[in-house]
Amino acid sequence: MDDILRIFFQECDEQLEELERGLSALSDGESGQETINGVFRAVHSIKGGAASFGLENLVRFAHVFESALDDLRSGRIAPTPDIIKIFLKAMDVLSDLVVEARDNLAVDPARAAESRIELEAITGRGGTADATDAPDATDDAVPQDFVPVPLDFEPVSIDFEPIAVDFDFDGPAAPVPAPLIVTFRPHDVLYERGDDARNILIGLADVAAAAVSGGDIVAACDCSALPSLGDLVPGRAYLSWRVVLPPEVSEERCGAVFDWVSDACDFEMTRAGETGESPVAVPPPEPVPAPVDEVAPVLATVLATALADAHRAPAAVPVAAAVAPAAAGPAPARKPEQASIRVDLHRIDDLMDLVGELVIAQAAIESLSRHGDSATQQELVQSIGSMQSLTRDIQDAVMAIRAQPVRGVFQRMQRVVREACSMTGKEVVLTLAGEETEVDRTLVEKLTDPLTHMLRNAVDHGIEKKEDRIAAGKPAEGHIRLSAEHRSGRILITIRDDGGGIDRARVLETAIRRNIVAPDAVLTDDEINNLIFAPGFSTAEAVSDLSGRGVGMDVVKQAILSLGGRVAIHSVPGKGTTFSLSLPLTLAILDGMVIVAGGSTMIVPISAVIETMMIKRRDIYALPDGSNVISIRGDCMPLIPLAAALGLSDSSPAGSPDDAIILVVENESGARAALVVEEIRDQTQVVIKSIENNYRQIFGVSAATILGDGSVSLILDAPALIASAVGHLDNKPARIRAGLAA
Amino acid sequence: MTEQTEVADATIVKMIMFAIGEQEYCIPILSVREIRGFEKTTTLPFAPPYVCGAINLRGVILTVIDLAVYLNVPPQADNPRRVVVFVESQGGVVCGLLVDRVIDMADIDLGDVQSVSDDGSSLGGLVLVDNRMIGVLRLETVVGQLVGDTVSA
Repeated sequence: MDDILRIFFQECDEQLEELERGLSALSDGESGQETINGVFRAVHSIKGGAASFGLENLVRFAHVFESALDDLRSGRIAPTPDIIKIFLKAMDVLSDLVVEARDNLAVDPARAAESRIELEAITGRGGTADATDAPDATDDAVPQDFVPVPLDFEPVSIDFEPIAVDFDFDGPAAPVPAPLIVTFRPHDVLYERGDDARNILIGLADVAAAAVSGGDIVAACDCSALPSLGDLVPGRAYLSWRVVLPPEVSEERCGAVFDWVSDACDFEMTRAGETGESPVAVPPPEPVPAPVDEVAPVLATVLATALADAHRAPAAVPVAAAVAPAAAGPAPARKPEQASIRVDLHRIDDLMDLVGELVIAQAAIESLSRHGDSATQQELVQSIGSMQSLTRDIQDAVMAIRAQPVRGVFQRMQRVVREACSMTGKEVVLTLAGEETEVDRTLVEKLTDPLTHMLRNAVDHGIEKKEDRIAAGKPAEGHIRLSAEHRSGRILITIRDDGGGIDRARVLETAIRRNIVAPDAVLTDDEINNLIFAPGFSTAEAVSDLSGRGVGMDVVKQAILSLGGRVAIHSVPGKGTTFSLSLPLTLAILDGMVIVAGGSTMIVPISAVIETMMIKRRDIYALPDGSNVISIRGDCMPLIPLAAALGLSDSSPAGSPDDAIILVVENESGARAALVVEEIRDQTQVVIKSIENNYRQIFGVSAATILGDGSVSLILDAPALIASAVGHLDNKPARIRAGLAA
Repeated sequence: MTEQTEVADATIVKMIMFAIGEQEYCIPILSVREIRGFEKTTTLPFAPPYVCGAINLRGVILTVIDLAVYLNVPPQADNPRRVVVFVESQGGVVCGLLVDRVIDMADIDLGDVQSVSDDGSSLGGLVLVDNRMIGVLRLETVVGQLVGDTVSA
């Protein structure tokens, strides 16, 4: 049951995404019937699933939502921006309710109620069958109306098909000369013995058919004893039947049917006239002319159609659920609790093919290695070469399986912005670009929090108040663009707002007040921008719901750094601010340069390396405090003796031989430094392994890997090394500049 | 002391005994994952002196603690029987303890452990086995220091 529930919630997430996509398309002015159907289907599927799990809150809300969407579908209401807005809000509430049902979290009931009233206001005008129950869809009306459906339908369709005749129980009747009425109620023991009430009904039908040619029976099931789903014991017998046989059937023939089960059920035979019971209650054979075996399917269809009309056919649910994900492709769960992944089948097929080839290549190598003569040497080398490219392909294929478009996270940001807008009273449009850009799944999930925070910040701090915008000659509506793209093996995510830009004077003032920088510090614009990432920094005048609670951009930066990413800010006063996040495509594998420093083999991520070169001693300029700088083609940068910087040796490069090997490394904001190493060995792909799992964080080291010989090698955190060296040097020019200015 | 009331409740624990220099210590055998010969480790920057370095244990990167340095005991020089005992703490942290040799296993009644120092120490107490004094190592303290120590660079 738990598994089923989990799958249901996963599907809910997918449906919600589908819903969000559809609604955004609608709000963009797209009004295709298919979009509307998709939106309707999503809500309908959630409702259907929720009903089978008895999630009443969810069902109740989804029902109202669905009714409103039905009006949209049938064209009774038009998808105006106002209506879409209500739907978007309803979607957020629905999403909350799904989370509520899943995690037992309380959701603000006022918000749900408000949204429901809005939805009911939309549907209230209609006079359709649906709309009639929508306005009075009070807390009780809907579930009573809705929930019992799977109860009296499911047992019927599975176990006791003849029950379907139920439909005509209260139907109009014509008098019939004394038909034989049989009522029978199976005991539990009947089912325990493996018998079935159905066999009895079929037996009765046979008797009827034998007595009169074309003789039919009419069976009605009494479900009144059926308890609610929660109390239902599957093995118990709750149903009883009342069967009307044609008058020609004799009591003996009829009684013979019950011979085998006389001890396992209560049965009674009466002639309609004898008991004084009005035959009115008994429908004539005519309305249901088919024999019992045929009646069931026919009526089941009728029943299903009738139910479908009322939008509550449980049978429709799996269909819709199966259709929507297929269209959605691999989509992430909102807040996945269980790691599972839906993968395009051809990606798995590709992988299978590659593995097949690998096995063949391995066999080739094995057979070659048996003949040890030098003639096969060449072939062996070739085979190993092809095996190498195969493993590379397999690796790519596996990565492709783990890859997911960032769409899921991006679309969630629409809601973040909507909510931020409603809290701040600003009007902001979020446009998305590059949602199809694929990154590793682990990364997709970890992007949610930092992006949420940055977008809230953009709305709260970046975009100015409406009056200010108009005064500045900008459109009243703010605009934020969230985009993703691949750039040289990394993913670049940018968040660009057209707000007021960073108020550097105020940032600096705040930073000084909070003792983040020294009062006499002279900082570049870039450095001031970066102050907003400092721990404890907040320029918010007052603590609002959105920001100023102490959890600031420093957390964002930490989150991005821990993903191996970098953040850069670009801000133009009056024009807006752009945050650029550069992240690796995966957290598992990295292209690295193998170097030796302090006698240890280490890896420097290729993405950080700009160039490598040999330098002469005369290129090095020693600063008074003992640190060195180097000028490369006019670019001045600090020289970092790597071994010493990591505390592995005390020898300074000044005492080293005349030629030093350096790696010029760069961080995201473009700051460069030169790492002095002893040797550059190789360039290779390495699998990233955590050190922190069983140890602590180490300065200058981001992770570790295992080399071909089984030894552990450290992966350097080049930006951290640069930052410490640059920070070390930068304060000095600043002070000098300050001194000169004074 | 709470420590003693705690150990009074628990009764007999199987311990593995090992020697560092001339001294003998023991830890609960259930915390031991495996024992391996000592291999070359990779030096870690800014590591405390007692950390030998990092080692690859079937794809997982672990640190090895030189218990002789950690406990400030003179190690046996050039001992070919030096082994690394891989242990897992209650918090799930795995690390290696470099010891001079593994001696034996013993059932130790925790009630017999005599406390020798306060709670913060890595030595939980002493116990007599066959008239030899065996130190009971507090694994959680050792591992806690390994993981929790802030880098003092």
